[in-house]
Amino acid sequence: MWARISHHLRTDSLGALLRASQPIGRQPLRIANMAQQPLPSSAQPTDIYGGDEVSALVLDPGYCNTRAGYAGEDVPKSILPSFYGHITSDPPRDLFGDECIIPRGDFEVRNYMNKDSVVEDWDVAAKLWEFMLVKRLQPERQTHPSKNGLNDDIKEQDGEGDVAMEEVEGLEKPLEEFPLLMSEAPWNSPKAREKAIELSMESWGTPAFWLSRTPVLASFAAGKATALVIDVGGANTSVTAIHDGMVLKRSIQRSPAGGLWLSSQIRKMWETSEPKVDLVPTFMVENKTPVDALAPPQARLREFPFKIHDSFRAFEEERVLTEFKESVVEVWRGPGRYGAAGNEEYIKSQPGRVFEMPDGYNQMWREQRFKVAEGMWDENAGYPVPEDERLNKAQTIPELIRSALNSVDVDLRGTLLGNVVVTGSTSLINGFNDRLNNELTAMYPGLKIKIHAAGLSSERRFGAWIGGSILASLGTFHQMWISKKEYEENGAGIVEKRCK
Amino acid sequence: MSRNAPDGDDADTSNSRPQSNQGSTPVRTPRKQQKSSQQRLHTFQTPLHADESPTPTPSPSSRRLYPGTGGRTATDPDDSECATPTPAPHRYGLRARRASRGLSNKNNNNNNNNNNNIQTRVRNRNRNNPNCTCSHNTRPPASIMASGGKWREEQILIICPGSRTTMAQLGCGELSPPAHRIPTRMFRDEEEPEQWRPYYTYKRTTVTDGVEREEWVEDVDEDKGAVWPIEGGRIVQMDAFLAFLDHVHGLLTTTYHNTPIMLMASPQWTRPDCETIARYIFEKTKTPALCLIHSGIATQYGLKWPNMTVVDIGYEKVDVTAIHDGRVVNHMDLGRPLPDRFISGGEVFTRKLLQLLEGQGFNHDMAEQLKKSGICEVLPYAPAKKELMDLPVESSPNASQSQPRSTAAPGTTAEEGAAPGSGAVDSTVAAAAEAASQHAPTTDEPAVEEDVAMEDNDGLDTNVDEDGVLDVASIVTSGQTKEFLAKKEKEKEKEKGKPGRKSNKDKDGDAAAQARPLRQPNSKKVRNTFSYEEIVMEEVPKEVPAPVSAPTQGAGGGGVEEVVATEKAAEPAAEKAAEPATEPAAQGTQAEEDSKAPAPAATETEAPVVKTEESKPNGDDNDNENGTESKPAADVANGEQGKAADADTGAKANADADASAKNGEPPELRPKRIRREIEVGLERFLFADRAEIDRIVSTIYRTIQGVEDMYMRPACWDNLVFVGNGSRLRGLKDNILQTLNARHLISPSTATMFTSELPSNVATPAGTGSQTPVGSFSGAPHQLASSGVNPLLQAATTASTLGVAGRDTIQVATGSTPMVGSEAAGPASGHHFHSQTPTSIRTIALPTYLSEWSKNGFEEAMFLGAQVAARIAFCLHSNMDAQAIEAQKSMSLSRVDYNEHGPKAIRTHSMLS
Repeated sequence: MWARISHHLRTDSLGALLRASQPIGRQPLRIANMAQQPLPSSAQPTDIYGGDEVSALVLDPGYCNTRAGYAGEDVPKSILPSFYGHITSDPPRDLFGDECIIPRGDFEVRNYMNKDSVVEDWDVAAKLWEFMLVKRLQPERQTHPSKNGLNDDIKEQDGEGDVAMEEVEGLEKPLEEFPLLMSEAPWNSPKAREKAIELSMESWGTPAFWLSRTPVLASFAAGKATALVIDVGGANTSVTAIHDGMVLKRSIQRSPAGGLWLSSQIRKMWETSEPKVDLVPTFMVENKTPVDALAPPQARLREFPFKIHDSFRAFEEERVLTEFKESVVEVWRGPGRYGAAGNEEYIKSQPGRVFEMPDGYNQMWREQRFKVAEGMWDENAGYPVPEDERLNKAQTIPELIRSALNSVDVDLRGTLLGNVVVTGSTSLINGFNDRLNNELTAMYPGLKIKIHAAGLSSERRFGAWIGGSILASLGTFHQMWISKKEYEENGAGIVEKRCK
Repeated sequence: MSRNAPDGDDADTSNSRPQSNQGSTPVRTPRKQQKSSQQRLHTFQTPLHADESPTPTPSPSSRRLYPGTGGRTATDPDDSECATPTPAPHRYGLRARRASRGLSNKNNNNNNNNNNNIQTRVRNRNRNNPNCTCSHNTRPPASIMASGGKWREEQILIICPGSRTTMAQLGCGELSPPAHRIPTRMFRDEEEPEQWRPYYTYKRTTVTDGVEREEWVEDVDEDKGAVWPIEGGRIVQMDAFLAFLDHVHGLLTTTYHNTPIMLMASPQWTRPDCETIARYIFEKTKTPALCLIHSGIATQYGLKWPNMTVVDIGYEKVDVTAIHDGRVVNHMDLGRPLPDRFISGGEVFTRKLLQLLEGQGFNHDMAEQLKKSGICEVLPYAPAKKELMDLPVESSPNASQSQPRSTAAPGTTAEEGAAPGSGAVDSTVAAAAEAASQHAPTTDEPAVEEDVAMEDNDGLDTNVDEDGVLDVASIVTSGQTKEFLAKKEKEKEKEKGKPGRKSNKDKDGDAAAQARPLRQPNSKKVRNTFSYEEIVMEEVPKEVPAPVSAPTQGAGGGGVEEVVATEKAAEPAAEKAAEPATEPAAQGTQAEEDSKAPAPAATETEAPVVKTEESKPNGDDNDNENGTESKPAADVANGEQGKAADADTGAKANADADASAKNGEPPELRPKRIRREIEVGLERFLFADRAEIDRIVSTIYRTIQGVEDMYMRPACWDNLVFVGNGSRLRGLKDNILQTLNARHLISPSTATMFTSELPSNVATPAGTGSQTPVGSFSGAPHQLASSGVNPLLQAATTASTLGVAGRDTIQVATGSTPMVGSEAAGPASGHHFHSQTPTSIRTIALPTYLSEWSKNGFEEAMFLGAQVAARIAFCLHSNMDAQAIEAQKSMSLSRVDYNEHGPKAIRTHSMLS
């Protein structure tokens, strides 16, 4: 009973805490509509919170990228793809980091997260996270110089990935001085949450731990304790209402209408285009010669003396698709939907954008570049895809928002609509915010709608991480952490009780 | 010049550093013993001095400081590292090691004020604690602590650590290339493993006056057992690194309390690393202020462009840092030490070269020297060729024999490996020589210039000691020494007057054009030779202690010295006359041979076509002798094979052997420098590993394309710069750039030109030129630059008019490519940039107003930048408003701030991002 009350107190204080505190560091926050104005950065005393002493680490795993860094910094120091390389030949090994994902034989690209943005492969997750938190962010460990030399090699030969773990057990644990704040999808399972705290406490020896849901953190990054967070990410789009630093569970809505879905639309568009556009990823191109628009490409392709695994190719194709999304794809801003009468004709009369494929093929895209993104808003638009990939009406962004709002108290809706936080890298697509604004205005006429979307791309892409960075560096957050002692007394279940 | 060198050094050093008393303090070891040990270790150095003096060293004072500078060329594999030892005008840091050695003399002096034996000293644990930290025990009490960031430029200590070599200098007033290049290594103390020593130290027993004594000897050159605290930019041994910092500090200055430190940090340094360093510096020393600067930012300060992409090709790592408006906006690296480490950078090329040539008896050192020599180059990217480069093919009709070899390099390797040093090799040599002479008359003027430029300026440059294939011995023995040296001196004088590579090149080109027959550029030759130098330990008679040192001088240093012609070479030449008879005899025969040798050797000033095939590179003296004996046949066949170098060494070996026999004393090991000509085939092009270049290329591509805000990307693409001494590899930068262009450049599309509905009167884009796909076109091709462009045209070619004007994200495609330093680039105006990049890929213009740096090469621009930043952070006191003062304060961490906030203050008071 007491635990319950104290938990309420604590969670309540999360919002209060944010209100009372200022984000620190050089965080270039653009806080639009906040009760409290941030101090000018020059006037920020470094130790007003006292919490600066804590060198907390923040880990934000996502489907496309995993971000890690020190609390208090404005961008994560270490950003790695959640995709990793796996060498299938003997001995099988896992390789982490962009640097390692290169064409080679007996090599697959895998992802430790699944498309729900939930950890799927915990063994690899532990390794990858440790790689980021320890290898990338911590100095080389000095305690046992004898282990630095030849011993490592021997271990490498037999040990595939447990090396680090074994080492850890023998030595002092790698993160004994660093509290860890992790993010999770709002729909993360209790089991996975327990696994996370176990890993943190047992394997890394962190003195304190906290698990926070990404929308909460994203709203913190925007300087809001109450917000409607629209997170358009790589594998998912989610809409979540946050009230006073707490997720309103019933409001959580999600759909696959994210980056991957958009990629499949683009692929479809290329396939059905006339002439068909061949997606040759960059790594296959040795060099290219400029060709006229729509002319067949003239590129010299690279030859590899080994078979390139499909997963690697898909990973590389995604890079091209990302570039296409960045520079060509655009959301129809309105008025009305793309499908509304006259809109398509109007767009066709407008100049388009040219995209040059890695192999030199180039083409101008006009109405198509709007059409690919339209499916996120209108289930009837977009390119036809197989039944199982198709979005139904409830999965479009306007419907997600509607159902999220419908599930919360009517009194709260106005506040939420006045604090819409847009985050996630797919939201960076040109025109997204305009369209969102139009849709919301159409859906809720008469309510004041205020969209907050960070201007800097990095703040949008790393919204949740930045929120975590702010939260974990607040001195007042000290009292919130689950300490090692609490964990030892209560076991992994504590995370369910505390991190609501 | 010889064994006295150390003494000379002492004098020099003490001149420049009056506070160190090493020159006069009495010796702890008995005089004789000291002498012999000095000599022993200094034999390394003596010949090298000779080299050094004519080098256009930046400033006379710095030369004085480093008496040992200029030594055995490049025995170190260090060169390619970011902070590689690189003497001023060299492409590679051939004499780097020497520099550090010279330095180390001084260090010893400094660290051991009580003990003046330079190279060797008896270790006195109480006084000279092995941990060099302790050498600062004697520093003055730091009562006068500077406060408020007011320092003079000459007080500031600049340290740029690299994985192999650390560049350091006291003072940033001159903005000169680094005065010191110190190997980044420490040695564990044998007796106290927690302590670190700066040099390899071993114990030896000597007998002096009948008393057996044990003494500790430091060998400043030895790498054995060294711990390299930085690996691929990452600090892997923090305590060693801190000891090293202390050592560097001790070398350069004696006091801490008024010496603020500017320390360059690799991007791989973690935050705790930086805090540990800050903590150490402020708690263990009296340093008043510390500035940590990101190496990319440092480069930017050196080159002064607001937006840059710094590609730092180091020893075993490559760092790519995209900087926009002075901020690091993205960073990627290769070669991090991870469980699976794939090194990247200069060392990769050396290894590849070694791998190709191992069959021919190459070792790592030879591969390294070959890589640094002018003949090793990365050929331009040839998009259509199978190997992606234009390999030269044998064109001489006479050389049909070597035709198959040249087209298939591995074949060459096999053949030569199979027939070392015998007739086959000679015939190869003959063929090559013939080929060379065949080509010669047919080559035209520009080719020669190019050749000269490459061989003499880029790689080996014009320094006497690096005259590449210059066969000094033959010149010396042919009796033209004086004239030759005079000529060289004159040339050098002229060169000094003209800073900058370009002028050197021109001048040399002219001179060479007059003086030598025309030749092909290296890239067109199937085979070419380079001159390999190594130091072998040879047995020499132990010296008879003599009252006067003059005779020993000759015997001690002369042998090696003659090979190394410098301004001092005249001296040894004179001394030689007094030497045992065998040598003159040998020289006589050589002289005859030489005089027989036709034009090339005599007329070519710098690189006579002397081909010497050494089958066994590590050959000892016997081999050399054998070689000499077997060569006459080849000489006759070729008619121009001056075997002077080998013959000379062989002869000297004889002489030495004789001497030792006479003396009847146990022979002593003594280092000796040997220079040999080695011919290399196509391996010198094939080593350019495509996989490695591709890795670098795609890292650059991903780094810039990974910059989150798209509008920053064009600026980053337009301002590439290659730094790090790994990028000195000839042709590498160009190849990377060509590959980037061939693979990633987005060409202006015809789609925008013809499909938009333009009024006919503005249809031709010629007026602005902005849409014409010409080479220099740099704007976004699909969205056109706005400046000067007809607005109608722009509107027509971009998707800007969708009737949504007034929205905060009007996508007026791009406006323009953000210009350097312009505000227009930012998203402030609400214009978003959505162009595909790169539409142009260019390198930045390097500053031309720093002649010393032009000579040095901007590969070490980060050091220049560190100096500039140090000035700004520490020395700027006037004309600053409150904001500037605030900004300056956050550049570095002062002791006051440290005391208040602790090590974590380095996070905000530094230039790390």
